[in-house]
Amino acid sequence: MSVTTLTAGVISREDLVRLLAGPASEGRLMAPVRVAPEVVLFVPVRDPDAITLDYVNSTVPPKEYLFPRAEKILGWRGSGPQLELILPPELQPLVLFGVRPCDLRAITVLEPVFGGAYPDLYWRRRRELTTIVGLGCTEPGPYCFCVAWGISPVAAPEADLMLTPLEPPAAGGYLVAVQSAKGEELLRRSGVGPQAAGTEPAVLRERRTAELTARFRRLIDPTGVERAAERLFEHSYWRELARRCLGCGICTFLCPTCHCFNVIDRTAPDGSGGRYRCWDSCLFERFTLQASGHNPRPTRAERLRNRLLHKLSYHRTRYGLEGCTGCGRCVAACPVNIDIAEVVADLKGLMT
Amino acid sequence: MRDNPLWPHLATIVKIVDETPDVKTFRVVLDDPGARENFRHRPGQVALLSVFGQGEATISISSSPTRRDYLEFSVRRVGRLTGVLHQFEEGYKIGLRGPYGNGFPLEELRGRDLLFVGGGIGLAPLRSLINYMLDRRDDFGSVEIVYGARSVADLCFKEELFTVWPKAPGVRVYTTIDRPEYGWDGHVGFVPSYLAELAPSGAGKYALICGPPIMIRLVLQELAGLGFPPERIVTTLELKMKCGIGKCGRCNIGSTMVCTEGPVFNLARLQALPPEY
Repeated sequence: MSVTTLTAGVISREDLVRLLAGPASEGRLMAPVRVAPEVVLFVPVRDPDAITLDYVNSTVPPKEYLFPRAEKILGWRGSGPQLELILPPELQPLVLFGVRPCDLRAITVLEPVFGGAYPDLYWRRRRELTTIVGLGCTEPGPYCFCVAWGISPVAAPEADLMLTPLEPPAAGGYLVAVQSAKGEELLRRSGVGPQAAGTEPAVLRERRTAELTARFRRLIDPTGVERAAERLFEHSYWRELARRCLGCGICTFLCPTCHCFNVIDRTAPDGSGGRYRCWDSCLFERFTLQASGHNPRPTRAERLRNRLLHKLSYHRTRYGLEGCTGCGRCVAACPVNIDIAEVVADLKGLMT
Repeated sequence: MRDNPLWPHLATIVKIVDETPDVKTFRVVLDDPGARENFRHRPGQVALLSVFGQGEATISISSSPTRRDYLEFSVRRVGRLTGVLHQFEEGYKIGLRGPYGNGFPLEELRGRDLLFVGGGIGLAPLRSLINYMLDRRDDFGSVEIVYGARSVADLCFKEELFTVWPKAPGVRVYTTIDRPEYGWDGHVGFVPSYLAELAPSGAGKYALICGPPIMIRLVLQELAGLGFPPERIVTTLELKMKCGIGKCGRCNIGSTMVCTEGPVFNLARLQALPPEY
C-alpha cells in the first residue's frame, strides 16, 4: 500500500480532544474505553474524556468496524412464488480512533481477501466511510511481537491520520501525519493546527521506532517459517500441539487478520427475514463438515494446523503478505498457552 | 447492489424432475433478463443457490451452457437446506450467485476421446459436460460413459442415460448397480470393478470422474493401471463453501482455494496439494 504523507506536525494532548470533539458530539466516534479492569474495547464515545489512552491494545481488535461480528447483508419478505429482496441498512460515516500499528497492518493483510476479482461491497463501503486515526504505542505488551513482522510500533501507512506519541508520553504531544484526504478533512474540520516539529518528522518517527523496538521482550525471527507448510504438513508436531487445544476458537475471534465467516439466514414470525455474515472459526468441527458427513479436517490437529499455517504460510503464498501481525492477543487469551511465536520457533527448529 | 458479489439474483423454478428417491433436478430461470444474459457458465462450474431462510449451498450446474434458456441443478436431499428445497414447487423463488470456479478444461479436451466415470449424484457435474459435448459433437472424439448407483431407483438422469446418450453417435454408455435387482439385466457391481472389466485404453484419452470419495479413490487406481497419466485424469472436488469467491476461508486445501482455483483439478495438480480434502 502506497501512502503519501501530505503534511506532518506536532499536536498537544488538548488538541487531541479537540480533534475528536466533532465526531464525538455527532455520535460517530469509536474509541478505546476501559469497560472493565482488564478489558479495553472500541465503543461509541460521545465524551472524548471517556477515552482511555492508557492501554497496550484493545481486547477485541477494531477489525469489527470494517468486518463486523455479524452483519446483515440482505433481507427479504414473502415466500414461495412471492419473494422479494430488500437492501441492507445504509451505513453511516465513522471515525475510528486509537488503532495500533499491528491492527493497522491487519487492514493491509485483509485487503486482498476482501478485494481481488470479487471486491466485497460491505468491506469497501466501510473502508470508504471510516476515517481511521492510528495511535502509536508507548510500551510493548508482554505478548507483543509486531516488530518480528517488520511493523513499526509507532507508525503505519494504513491510518488516515497517524499519531506517534512523543516523549514524555503525557507532555510530549503527538507527531501527526496526514496520510489521506479523509485524514486531512478530519484535521481541517477540527480546527487543530499542528505545530512544526523541532526535528524532521521522519527522523523523529525512526527514533521512536528504534527506542520502542529495543523494549520488546518477545524476539522471534519468522524468516523461512512459511516452508513448514510443505515440509512439516504431516509431522506429528500438529497432533502433539492439538492435544491441548480446546477448539474454543478464541484465537480466531481475537485475531485482527482472521476473516472466515459463516452466512446465516434468520426468519421472523411474519416470514420476512435477513441474511447475516457472521465471524466463524476454522477451529470448529462443523466449519468444514459437509452435509454428506465427510469432513476434510476431522480432528483438532488438522484444524489447528490449518489456522497456524494459514497465518504463517498460506496467506503469504496467496497474497505475498504475512498473515500474522504479532498483536499477541491469541497468545494472551489462549486458555492452554498455545503460543504462535513459540510455534514459529518450534517449526523452524524442526526444519533445521 | 449490482456490484455486490454476495447479492443473489432471484430465479424461478420452472420445472422439477424427480431423478431418484432423494435427488431432484430443479430447472430455473433467472427473473432479471440482464442477469440471465450475463450468466454464462462452463461445464463443471458451480453456483451458490439460496433457499431464503435456510442459507446458501454450493451446487454444481448440471445443465449444459449450450442450452441457454434455463439452468439446472440436480440436488440430493442430504441436510437442512436441501430438505427444504425438496419441498419447493414449480413457481417458487430461489436465489442464485455465480457461476464460480474454473470448470472443465474445454480447450484441452477438444478433439480428445473422453471417458466419463460417475457414481450416484456425481453424474450431475459430468452431465453438463456430456450434454455440452453432444451439442458440439464434432469437437470431440469417442465417448464412453461408465456410471453406477446403489440401485436402479438411484440412477440419475434415466431418460438421458438409457435413451438419449446411447443413441448419440460415437457414444457408449455402461451402467451398473451395486446389487442384483429383479428386472435388471444390466451389469451388477461397483463402478471401479466394472471399469476394470471394461478396461478402456488410456491412450490419448481423458478420464473425467465424479462420485463418492471411496469410488474416486479406487477409480484413480484403476485408471493408473489402464495407462492414463495424471494430467489426463480430471475430477471435481466438493468442499463446503459459504461465499464461492475466496473469502469465507472454508474450502482451502493448503493455500489453494477450491472455489476460485477449482473445483476441477487434474490428478497431477491434486497430488501436489496437501492431503486434506
